[in-house]
Amino acid sequence: MQFLRTLLVTLLLLAPLPALAYDILVLQSLRESGYDEAVKGARHECSGTMRTIVLSDYAETDVTRIIREEHPRLVIAVGDRALEVAEKQRYAPVLYMMALHAKPRQRGTVTGVGMLFEPARYLAVFDSLGCRRVGVICDPTKSGAYLRRAQVAARRSGIDLVVREVRSPKDTPAMLDSLRGKVDALWMLPDATAVSPETTEAYFLFSQGERVPLVSFAEVYLKMGGAVTLGIDRFDIGKQLGIMAQGVLSGTPVEEMTLQSPRRVLMKVNDGVLRRLKISIAGGG
Amino acid sequence: MTAKLRASRIVKNFRFRIYLIFTLTIALLTAAFALFYVITEGNGFQSTLEREGRLLATILAQNARLPLFAENREALALLASGTARYPSVLYVSISNAEGRALTELKNPRDKGGGALDMEVEVTSPGLVASPEAVLLGQAPVDEKRVIGRVHLRLDTSGARERLKKLVAATIAIGTLFWIMVSLLSYQILKRVTSSFNLLMRGIEEIGSGNLSARVNLDSDDELGRGANAINAMAASLELRELENLSLQEELLLSMRLEVQEEKRRVMARLIHTNKMTSLGLLLSSMAHEINNPNASIRFSGHIIAKMWADVVPLLDGVWREEGEFYLGGIPFQKARGALAENAAKIVENSERIARVVQGLRDYGVGDGARLRPDLELNGAVAAALSVLACQMQQDVWLKTALGTDIPVVTGNQHQIEQVLINLILNAMQSFPDGRGEVVLTTRHDREAAEVVVEVEDDGVGICAETMERLFEPFFSTKLDRGGSGLGLYISQYIVAEHGGRLQLTSTPGRGTLARVILPVGSGAP
Repeated sequence: MQFLRTLLVTLLLLAPLPALAYDILVLQSLRESGYDEAVKGARHECSGTMRTIVLSDYAETDVTRIIREEHPRLVIAVGDRALEVAEKQRYAPVLYMMALHAKPRQRGTVTGVGMLFEPARYLAVFDSLGCRRVGVICDPTKSGAYLRRAQVAARRSGIDLVVREVRSPKDTPAMLDSLRGKVDALWMLPDATAVSPETTEAYFLFSQGERVPLVSFAEVYLKMGGAVTLGIDRFDIGKQLGIMAQGVLSGTPVEEMTLQSPRRVLMKVNDGVLRRLKISIAGGG
Repeated sequence: MTAKLRASRIVKNFRFRIYLIFTLTIALLTAAFALFYVITEGNGFQSTLEREGRLLATILAQNARLPLFAENREALALLASGTARYPSVLYVSISNAEGRALTELKNPRDKGGGALDMEVEVTSPGLVASPEAVLLGQAPVDEKRVIGRVHLRLDTSGARERLKKLVAATIAIGTLFWIMVSLLSYQILKRVTSSFNLLMRGIEEIGSGNLSARVNLDSDDELGRGANAINAMAASLELRELENLSLQEELLLSMRLEVQEEKRRVMARLIHTNKMTSLGLLLSSMAHEINNPNASIRFSGHIIAKMWADVVPLLDGVWREEGEFYLGGIPFQKARGALAENAAKIVENSERIARVVQGLRDYGVGDGARLRPDLELNGAVAAALSVLACQMQQDVWLKTALGTDIPVVTGNQHQIEQVLINLILNAMQSFPDGRGEVVLTTRHDREAAEVVVEVEDDGVGICAETMERLFEPFFSTKLDRGGSGLGLYISQYIVAEHGGRLQLTSTPGRGTLARVILPVGSGAP
């Protein structure tokens, strides 16, 4: 009896030990279904053990100390804030996803899957719509890099990007006005400055007024008058990152991994809008 | 005055009152409906204007959302001028969330009349999420943020004008309706109340006394039944009236007869009273006429007696000397005594005549109301009997039982004599066959300090009905035999004046007892 009691106490004392030994520390900015979906995708592809910390659950969390003490082999940052926190430590490589405002990193130990498709994907859509002049409104401080990539790709595709830069959401209506008669299509980027709740409808008013198709980044805009949307698959992004994480756990150095764009595109078309605009997508939907 | 009376009659007319109430009610209802309609329409105008203003303001707010957010004053001014083109818009203002007006437009038509201010918030569109939230798949939140305000001032003068026209039209239509309904109701009332007027005319005619009048209303409704009932009542009243007239005539006739009878009785009493007065005067005159020769007779009797007394010795001498001789065919010895006796009888009877005459004279003339403190009751009884001496009938036996110790009382002898005479006469007349016994008693009741005179007869007595009226003046059962109906009335009065009582007790068929009770001493008032 005495022996059994000692054994039980020992087991209880040793029980936390396996929890402390894990491969991946998942830092999640907040409890959000989109993040959860992506994490599920990552778990689906990565067999490594994970510990998840939701930053919004804590007022202040010393992630660096946790990583230093618990020695995870990899940190997966989900969301902009998680990425920002994860970048402050140098003990483990970082893979990120669902971070809209992630900027190209100098440090080679930080990479992941972005939220924006390759500009070529959008340009292919404009090409199939037969649009040569595409209006783009963006904040260079937020979307400057992506815009430059898009301009390069556009030049290759023979599409003229008519760019209007905004510094404040208030500028958007005026910039849209300045595009009147100058574009065949409008490209709505996920730029928080260019697309604010107050100015979102201006895009659709412009599209209706100028009778040009609006290509956007989420399906919800189809209901507001968008013509075509290229939406992301959050679970697939998670899976994409999970493969990368599995690679890291398998010994592939993070430095050898480049930043990836989402591989799966969820393309949706508002047939009604296209019909009114008398536009059809070449090669079917 | 005639016009005033006519107006008063019209005002009291049932038809007019019903018509007045009806027309007033219709007028009130029409006015109420018109007022309700005008108020409802007025509210409708107001709400329409408000709706229109709110709609305009909302549209403007919707259109101004982006320019306001972008603070695009040109676009806002364009929108404002577009809104101000509406005729009812007097003023347009679009201001940001801080309240600073970004554009303001005042319509020159604004003359400062009635206006309606309308303010609508300009909000950011709801259900629109940020790009990041959209990418994360967050459901859009309907969170609207106020980014400015649209202020419209609407001209209400048009609505007021429409309301004025509506009021005028409503008043005109209401008045026309009221007039038409009043005319129609007058015709209806005229028909409805014609039967009523017929009934009223009949009732008024019957009420005025013409019970032969009838209500000529031939219908089977309530008024018809009422008319039949009134006709039946009038017929009944007419019958009663005839009966009353008959009864009145009978009553008048009987009253007339009664009055005539009463008049006849009163006249008989007056005649009797007058006769008695004349009798008193006659008695007084007779006494005077009798007393003179009677005095001469008495004087002659005395002279004869005195002379006979002087002559008798002479004639005795003659008789002794010459023997018997005759005087007046009567031998002297017989004539001697008879002459003296006759002379004494002459004097005695003459004195008796004088007393009787004096008694008659005293009874007829009286000596006023003089009271004597030493009235002897037995003396009064004797005086009364002396007066009644000639009335005494042979078949009536008068017995007297006079007390010897009767004290004197204060009183008027003649009045007491009159009382006693009345009572004795009543007793003497109570015998149906003129035969009976009258007992006259005097006594002294020491314990009560009273003297009592009782006159009792065994005559027919007095019935109870007569007993109740015995002391009424002019009531008599012997009016046809010279009764005045004043005897007991006066007697009771005299006795009461002496402080005494007059009591009558009688048993029909067995007789009557009359009792005079006088106080001894200072009994008289």
